[in-house]
Amino acid sequence: MLSPRLRFAILVAKSAASASRLLGHKGETLPGRILLAIEPEAISLLAQNKEVILVSGTNGKTSTTKAIAAIVSQLGPVATSGSGSNLAWGAANALMSPAPYAVLEIDELHLPGIIAQTDPTVVVLLNLTRDQLHRMHEVKRVADRWHVECSEATDTVFVADIDDPFINYAIVNATNVVRVSFGGRKHPDGAVCPRCGSYLHWTRGNYSCTCGLTNKITDVRLKKGSAAYRNAVLANIAGEVIGAAPIEFKESDLERSVTKEISGKIAHFRLTKNPASWTEALQSHLHDDVILVLNARQVDGIDTSWLWDVSFAVLKGHRVIVCGERALDMAYRIHVEGIEPQVVENFEQAISLAQGAEVSVLSAYTAFFELVM
Amino acid sequence: MLEIIRIHNELLGTYGDRGNADVIKFRAAARKIRARITDITYLDPLPKNGDIYLLGGAEDAAQLLSLNALRKGSILARAANNGAVVLAICAGFQILGTKYATRDEEFVGLGLLDVITTPGDKRLVGDIAVQSDLFDFPLTGFENHSSITTLGVDAKAFGKVLQGNGNGVGALDGAMNKTMNKNVFGTYLHGPILARNPEFADLLIERAVGGAISPMTDELAQRYAKWRRELIK
Repeated sequence: MLSPRLRFAILVAKSAASASRLLGHKGETLPGRILLAIEPEAISLLAQNKEVILVSGTNGKTSTTKAIAAIVSQLGPVATSGSGSNLAWGAANALMSPAPYAVLEIDELHLPGIIAQTDPTVVVLLNLTRDQLHRMHEVKRVADRWHVECSEATDTVFVADIDDPFINYAIVNATNVVRVSFGGRKHPDGAVCPRCGSYLHWTRGNYSCTCGLTNKITDVRLKKGSAAYRNAVLANIAGEVIGAAPIEFKESDLERSVTKEISGKIAHFRLTKNPASWTEALQSHLHDDVILVLNARQVDGIDTSWLWDVSFAVLKGHRVIVCGERALDMAYRIHVEGIEPQVVENFEQAISLAQGAEVSVLSAYTAFFELVM
Repeated sequence: MLEIIRIHNELLGTYGDRGNADVIKFRAAARKIRARITDITYLDPLPKNGDIYLLGGAEDAAQLLSLNALRKGSILARAANNGAVVLAICAGFQILGTKYATRDEEFVGLGLLDVITTPGDKRLVGDIAVQSDLFDFPLTGFENHSSITTLGVDAKAFGKVLQGNGNGVGALDGAMNKTMNKNVFGTYLHGPILARNPEFADLLIERAVGGAISPMTDELAQRYAKWRRELIK
């Protein structure tokens, strides 16, 4: 039974949501903010009657959350967070739903707090790589926080991709873990053992540290594959933990990609927001025309130094067009790698310069949402 | 052959500073100066014949590993004594000092620069601009650290801070030596600094080859540098 204050908070939050929608806003943060302002305990109170599954990691949160929501919906109604709405108020907003299941995408820095508040049944930990360092500061700092909270959440089952040493370190003292390894994937920021600070020894994409941290001791070992494939596997394992049958996904179901017709051309958009996701995207099929869109707002990361840690060499031979608020950062980066892009003011000009019928668009976070949503 | 030694990028590569080597090689090639980048990992010995040694930013544990590896044989100090160029950014800059401390421990540095780094109480994150005596225009970059670096008697600042924090004290950024080893540069500017400020890359090449190099027109590089300088607040 909900307390009178919580019921009041939900009422106000829901009216605010309707008002906000009337004004044309998508309105996922406002109701959550109001709910938490009136009842600061709303998240833990609302989570009490639900089976909660949380998903976190640098890359793949949104698509994996969608996949798990689809799997769990075989069991009953599912409350889930909207696209990328992964801070506390996003969680609060989703939890207002009466659905018995909640599948929530949670920001890396907010994860420990949300675990403590929701006492989740399952937490899926995808990966931790460099992202938005102006906010995260260091990958290790995020992993340290996870490590503490994962050790304390003794009722939760963690589904963890331990090929990532930061994830393995996060769950190393956790009570219930499904350790998943696909093997053969060297972590781009994994030169140092996050547990003991030693130089981490990697052999053919697998690691073993003198302190015992290794991806060779696993509960589930699978073949190598793309990020989309790996996340589909992790989603199904999470589903299995709460008794849902697996679903067979196509890789494209879990890629952060959207195809849209613009100015008579077929544009294939792909979300790229940090070194790991750029590298993944550059390995996918690219058309002759490639448009790179770079912004550096808060959620993109306000600094672009990391562009120099991505190899753009595969773009040689493509017609490369660069736009976005930080187009020059990108243009100069690839110029030094021997790729001469055309730099234009905006996306409309970029797409008009493309000559083929199909165009690949690799886009920063904020630009992705503006262009395809 | 201009030998560019990129030191421990797997440890000191947390902030894109590897690009400094790429920019030097790119701009040297435009002057018909052949250049080679050699990546030295933690497990490799440091070559003695480098013309330019580059160190970048790192997380704490990686910084300490790199320092301990570089301590062996004092090769970097000897190279600097012999006139080699050393450019060190952020964590790399800190390990060149005489001492640096984290919240828990204190470490003796390589001593190429007379600076001491101590932990500060806030994170210094954002765009930074400095005015160095080496140039008659400001240099731009991005900083992200939480340390305070204090200059000793043998050191002077790399530049005055126009925007941002730099060393976190005295509105100064970075360090150079006052008398000896004038080709050693420490700074907090990421960006990478040489991508944002190609003139500095040219200065390092001149120092390394020991003479003036021909001018170069790279419109994109100039446009990029100019645009970032116009944004200085």
